[in-house]
Amino acid sequence: MLDTEKLSVTEKSILERIKTVIDPEVEVNIVDLGLIYEVHHYEEEKRIHIVMTLSARGCPVGDTIIQHVETVVKAFLPDYETEVELTWEPQWTPEMITPEGKAFLNM
Amino acid sequence: MQAGLSTKNAPSPSVVLPHYAVGAIFFLTASVLLFFTSGDLANSYIGPKVLSVTHILVLGWITLIIFGALYQLIPVVMEVKLFSEVLAHISLYTLMIGTVLLSYSFWNNYIGETIFMQAGGTLILVSVILFVVNTLFSALKTKQRTYENAFIISSVFWLLLTVLLGIFITLNLVFNFVPKSNIDLLPVHFHIGITGWFMMLVAGVASTLLPMFFIAHKLNKKLLKISFYLTNIGLIAISLNLYFGKNTVITIISAFILLGGIILFVKYNYDAYKKRLRKKLDMGMKLSVLAFVLLFLSVVFGIFSALKLDILSDFSTRIKSLYGISLILGFLTSIILGQMYKTLPFIVWLKLYQDKVGKFKIPMPAHLYNEKTANLHYYSFIIAFITIFIGILLKEKLLIEISAVFFIITAGLFTFNTFKILFHKEKTEPLK
Repeated sequence: MLDTEKLSVTEKSILERIKTVIDPEVEVNIVDLGLIYEVHHYEEEKRIHIVMTLSARGCPVGDTIIQHVETVVKAFLPDYETEVELTWEPQWTPEMITPEGKAFLNM
Repeated sequence: MQAGLSTKNAPSPSVVLPHYAVGAIFFLTASVLLFFTSGDLANSYIGPKVLSVTHILVLGWITLIIFGALYQLIPVVMEVKLFSEVLAHISLYTLMIGTVLLSYSFWNNYIGETIFMQAGGTLILVSVILFVVNTLFSALKTKQRTYENAFIISSVFWLLLTVLLGIFITLNLVFNFVPKSNIDLLPVHFHIGITGWFMMLVAGVASTLLPMFFIAHKLNKKLLKISFYLTNIGLIAISLNLYFGKNTVITIISAFILLGGIILFVKYNYDAYKKRLRKKLDMGMKLSVLAFVLLFLSVVFGIFSALKLDILSDFSTRIKSLYGISLILGFLTSIILGQMYKTLPFIVWLKLYQDKVGKFKIPMPAHLYNEKTANLHYYSFIIAFITIFIGILLKEKLLIEISAVFFIITAGLFTFNTFKILFHKEKTEPLK
């Protein structure tokens, strides 16, 4: 799971941008849903690397969510190369939802 | 393309979308014809007009929309490309024309040796064979060996068998291949069509989609595995028994094996429902949950029908009618109404907005249809179903006519929302 305490200021700002990406099924942003596993900012290489998952394989809007993440990060840092990596390990579970996300979903 | 991400395997929307439009029109047509069938339906489940409406519903409404949905679903969940988009187009048009010709023949009681019946049956057979070839050639390439997929693939085999048997029954009337009347053969045709094709397909599709929409995890997959074997074994046993001799003991044993399979599949989806993330159900999920309630009703009447209790002998025809009605106009219609709202808006939304996410302010998939219209037809559908149920139970023509009016309202509103989604014009606003 993502430990936001270990993120740099820029990485935290990137995460805030990714919070604008909403999962259209549950209508919760994908950060609070726990789909973002890692955010890396490499200043020397001018590169942003994000590792994320989806709530299910075969998710019909999977491509769109990933593309949305790329778009918002590129819009925020247009001079950087943005790479969004999809992983299925570890498998996402509802325990990964943040307290904010759980509050929204009345969990 | 990233590993394990399969949305890009989806076929062109021009393959999938017309199925939803044509299916909705057939549902509306069947609802209108149901009004004029009310007298027949009050007394029998096998009259020419009843057969006509039944075939419009099972072929034009349910099967046709399922074909379209599977062309989208198989590539996405099985992570394979659709074998041929051309075959899918031909299959749609042959099924559409075949259904019209076949139901026209039934309506006018032109059964057997008529050009409409033969041409209609042939076109449907061609359509189904093309569909079977297309989906099996796609599905068999999958590396996703799951029981959800096994259910879908086996349902396709049962569909082929259903249609071949339907054609055989028609030809047997003329050529007498086997010394069996169509009354003996029709229950086999009905059961493998309803349980083999529809029920197994719904088991596969629902067990794939519902946990995904509910975002439910840690479900017991063993339930699906056992359900898959029980359902198939039960259905094979029932079909052979119906064909060869209707031994009551075998009927009851096989009906309970089948029932065990259905209960396990329902339990799997009920667990997903209980573990759902989003407690408030949207219209698509409300209708899908309602479908499971109606499935329970079908199972109850299916058991009564199989048991043939002496105490119920006066109600035999009505029990069979209620069994068919609760399956076709209840369970299957409700799940298709619901799953339209879970699939079509996403397909259209992806087509229009996939490249615009994050760049513009865009609507969500749920904004593509009118929520109030969907709510209205949810309630009109419930009223329609309850009224037809009581109408058949009391053999009351007027109640069946009132029910048909509510089915027309349901189908009309549903068709309105379907076309509203299909003709949705792109709406983008600059990001603030």
